Amino acid sequence: MIQIIDYGAGNLRSVQNALTQLGIESKVISSAKELKTDCKTIFPGVGAAGMAMKELNERGFASAIPQIKVPFLGICLGMQLLMDFSEENNTDCLKIIKGNVRKFQTTVKIPQIGWNKVEQKNPANLIFKDIPDQSYFYFVNSYFVDPEPENRIGTTDYGTTFASVINKDNFYGVQFHPEKSGEIGLKLLNNFCKSC
Amino acid sequence: MLIIPAIDIIGGKCVRLEQGNYSKVKNYDCDPVEVAQGFKSQGIKFIHIIDLEGAKEGRSKNLKTIIDIANQTGLDIQTGGGIRTFEDAEKILKSGIKRVILGTSALSNPDLIKRLINEFGADRVVVSLDSKDSVVMVKGWTEKSGLTLNEALQTLKDTGLEILIFTDISRDGMLQGINPTTIKKVLGKGFKVIVAGGVTNPEDIKQLENLNVYGCVIGKALYEGKIKLTQNNLAKRIIPCMDIKNGRVVKGTNFVNLKDAGDPVELAKYYSQSGADELVFLDIMATVEKRDTLYALVRRISENINIPFTVGGGIKNIEDIRTLLGNGADKVSIGSYAVENPNFVKQAANKFGSQCIVISVDPKKINEKWEIFIKGGRENTNIDAIEFAKQMEQLGAGELLVNSLDRDGMKTGYDIALLKEITNSVNIPVIASSGAGSKEDFLKAFTETNVDAALAASLFHYGTIKIPELKQYLIKNNITIRT
Repeated sequence: MIQIIDYGAGNLRSVQNALTQLGIESKVISSAKELKTDCKTIFPGVGAAGMAMKELNERGFASAIPQIKVPFLGICLGMQLLMDFSEENNTDCLKIIKGNVRKFQTTVKIPQIGWNKVEQKNPANLIFKDIPDQSYFYFVNSYFVDPEPENRIGTTDYGTTFASVINKDNFYGVQFHPEKSGEIGLKLLNNFCKSC
Repeated sequence: MLIIPAIDIIGGKCVRLEQGNYSKVKNYDCDPVEVAQGFKSQGIKFIHIIDLEGAKEGRSKNLKTIIDIANQTGLDIQTGGGIRTFEDAEKILKSGIKRVILGTSALSNPDLIKRLINEFGADRVVVSLDSKDSVVMVKGWTEKSGLTLNEALQTLKDTGLEILIFTDISRDGMLQGINPTTIKKVLGKGFKVIVAGGVTNPEDIKQLENLNVYGCVIGKALYEGKIKLTQNNLAKRIIPCMDIKNGRVVKGTNFVNLKDAGDPVELAKYYSQSGADELVFLDIMATVEKRDTLYALVRRISENINIPFTVGGGIKNIEDIRTLLGNGADKVSIGSYAVENPNFVKQAANKFGSQCIVISVDPKKINEKWEIFIKGGRENTNIDAIEFAKQMEQLGAGELLVNSLDRDGMKTGYDIALLKEITNSVNIPVIASSGAGSKEDFLKAFTETNVDAALAASLFHYGTIKIPELKQYLIKNNITIRT
């Protein structure tokens, strides 16, 4: 069983559909009261950081998420919110992983929309199990995370080289949308659910 | 850090020297206006232009060309080469050029810099310090100035100068990479430092970013492809579009004569498996008949595919968008309503994020300009399409889906001129739509314009072009494509 965090703006159906295709049961939870700290969690993010943090605070998730002790996967904004601070709406985030969320420079089109490659910095990490290096994943983002080198386990080039897959203890984050990245994305979700 | 591409000019053409040596001219033989346009289309805001003949002879020789570049591209330009007097600089600064670059004259005549700064402001005057082994070089790098680097910096500081270009001559044009030790000698002295010379690869750019320099000028490495301005592997997307009516896929010619081309869910599955990068569903009758898009269909599609898809048609309130996203759509495309009520785009982008707001641009060419049509192409709003595109970007649109009422269903190719204009005017992704009839049309859109994706409908639905073959063809022609 995987719990999926709902804060009112995310596209949860895609994640649920992907898990269903993988034969994995999931449950959507929309307040901290329902959150189980011993249940693997996926945190899909859509929308802007400011409003998302406001919702997370109101729903009690902001204080509950850091207590989770089993593998936790933040997707897109859900990954960015694991960091200390985001330049988007100058938002204080969950401060689980050290570093800030920065906006892309205008030398590239913003947002980045489309399929881009992930270079595996730590191919041994189980989230990459059976996924070839330099595989394409689907990205939609204007901001990127800038964590400490030891937390970067995959990187992607878009104007700059940014961390597209991060990991610290039981917390994982992917900047792309595995639920929208075809077969390879399903494989990554499967790795998170079954191997991490 | 500001990335500033360099254009060196001799006789109205782009050239590059190696180590400032005039006998080592590499002629790239291209029109500088076109080169500058190219930089602009890649997101560049500022360029660096040196009149090399001017630098050698001590007076401007290519000013007309440089003013042409400024006027035709609207880019901010810093230019130098042969500017030795107040009048030389004044002429340039009054002609629409952002900054003058002084070299030789600055060191032998500090009062000139002071006077220019007083007259035009410190933001419009920059001094280029060309150094070789810590000795400052002048006259197009052919003579030593007799000043050490530190002496020169002190002289400049005293004039009130704020922006400095620092060129390490031993590195320039050699593609050997930058030398951080030399660059550090000019940092921390109270100047905004632009580094020129030796910027060879993305690693150099990263190093300069870490050094916290204000900008960097890149020349040869750009012309020879060692550095790409858009340093990324983002693939160009191929997008089948399904026009939906009563739950079925239709595609008409110029929006009339609709033909049934299949079941949307079956087609979506097929496309997802055959390598489509994304799908678009447009409920084409929704606007005309004021109907909402069929949420159930969206839900069914999302259960069957796991590549991104956009849904459009009849969207006119926040609840519409919430329901579509909630049923599994990744993005929504807003058409007529964005034209009638632009503020809605801002609301939607604030609520759900720019990344899921696609604006459908429906222009038709009327008397040499493109005007926006609404209501399925039935009503002309007389709104200029280029201005509309810019406005949508400002309001928070994340992507533009650019149709052409002139090309739709014609299979004579995308409207390249329109796509060029729009991609040059905005810095958000653009999807080319309307008019594809062959694989060459896709290639043309990707090579001649800066679009990010190309969309087609009946071409794919009827199997005229198969996506895997199209992708192989584009890869063979050096387009970045996901396989």
